[in-house]
Amino acid sequence: MKEQQNPKARVDCLSREFGDETLVYDKQRNVGHCLNSTAAAAWKLCDGNRSTSEVAGILTQQLSAPVDESLVRLAVEELAKARLLVEPEAPRRRTSRRDVIRTLGIAGAIALPLVTSLVAPTPARAASCLKNGQPCGSNAQCCSGKCGTGGHCGA
Amino acid sequence: MKKLNRLGWAEGIAVSAFGVHTGIRVSTAGVLPRVLPLLPPGWKKSRRTTVQRLYSLVVPGTSQRAGLRRMNILYEDNVRIARDTDLDQVLAALETDLHRYTAEAAPSMTFLHAGVVGWQGRAILIPGRSLSGKTTLVREMLRLGATFYSDEFAVVDDFGMVHPFSRPLGIREDSTFAQTKYSAETFGAASGEKPLPLGTVVLCKYKAGARWNPASLSPGLGALELMGNSIAVRTEPQHTLRRIQELVKGVVFLKGARGEACESAASILNIATTDIGRETE
Repeated sequence: MKEQQNPKARVDCLSREFGDETLVYDKQRNVGHCLNSTAAAAWKLCDGNRSTSEVAGILTQQLSAPVDESLVRLAVEELAKARLLVEPEAPRRRTSRRDVIRTLGIAGAIALPLVTSLVAPTPARAASCLKNGQPCGSNAQCCSGKCGTGGHCGA
Repeated sequence: MKKLNRLGWAEGIAVSAFGVHTGIRVSTAGVLPRVLPLLPPGWKKSRRTTVQRLYSLVVPGTSQRAGLRRMNILYEDNVRIARDTDLDQVLAALETDLHRYTAEAAPSMTFLHAGVVGWQGRAILIPGRSLSGKTTLVREMLRLGATFYSDEFAVVDDFGMVHPFSRPLGIREDSTFAQTKYSAETFGAASGEKPLPLGTVVLCKYKAGARWNPASLSPGLGALELMGNSIAVRTEPQHTLRRIQELVKGVVFLKGARGEACESAASILNIATTDIGRETE
């Protein structure tokens, strides 16, 4: 059995800070992610050399509040689900959100890690589209997403 | 493209808007004046001999031939993008595509799909897809004294300032999706000319009977929503994120379902007034 790898953040993503949150853009998959403060802090510490317990230790110092290793494991799980970590060779041990809440109690000092994701739109999806009945050349032009055989947007 | 070039073109124009150079040519004389009002706001004639995108509009002449359907055909470079017997429909497709391309290719601005009004020196942004009710909300805010900036795009520069993209508001008055164009002046409003800093972002969807009671959103989640409405995030993610970061400094994000636009518009302006007041204290 392979040894559990330390989590490593992908370095090919763009990131920007918004207060204590971080917006990460995955150029390969065209997905944006908003990492809350806990997820962002954990993500920044995942360098492939530190174990989850070491990350928990550093976060405890950074946040001046006790950070349990289970919280870091949950953060790693969230980040891995969002594909913001380098894929490990061996599958990671799963940590359930419910178990972490049970361990920490509902009113923990640190927010539970949360990653909110949104697929980036294509220019055609983001901009105004053609209404039903308007002439079109491709599905992408139509609000309905369907350019009929007669060359008009349809339902 | 060679085949198209051989068709013979009666009129044409090269224009520049927001740093994007496009060309439009038409096969029949007298059609170009109908194209000019559809060009992106602030367009200028360009002297460039090459353009980034060329639109070719084939309009059948006046000669009649029995049994022949007289199709107007629009090409974007060499790709046919619209074909219809009704020229107005094809011109609408030209306007949509030209504006979208300008938004996508503008080198020094980020375009967000959003309605924008100016209110007490700040911009209020209403991001949303087509048919989400942006224009209705913008129209109601104009009636309440806001300044018109756009019902289509928020144009954001490197400093996070919001520029106008003002063209007549396209309002749907029935269920056919057909739009009627109105100028901002129709609603007693002025059109803004100077760029504004952003004050409030309103993320809402119309829901019949809903009472506008928005929740505030964190800056990160708000920025993610803006990213979801940016035209060129896939091609220019770095610039887009940087400009959104500048844009949202000190901004209030409101999210919720809204009922009738007139009620929510008044509430949004009230909230925006309070926030501006708090900031200036």
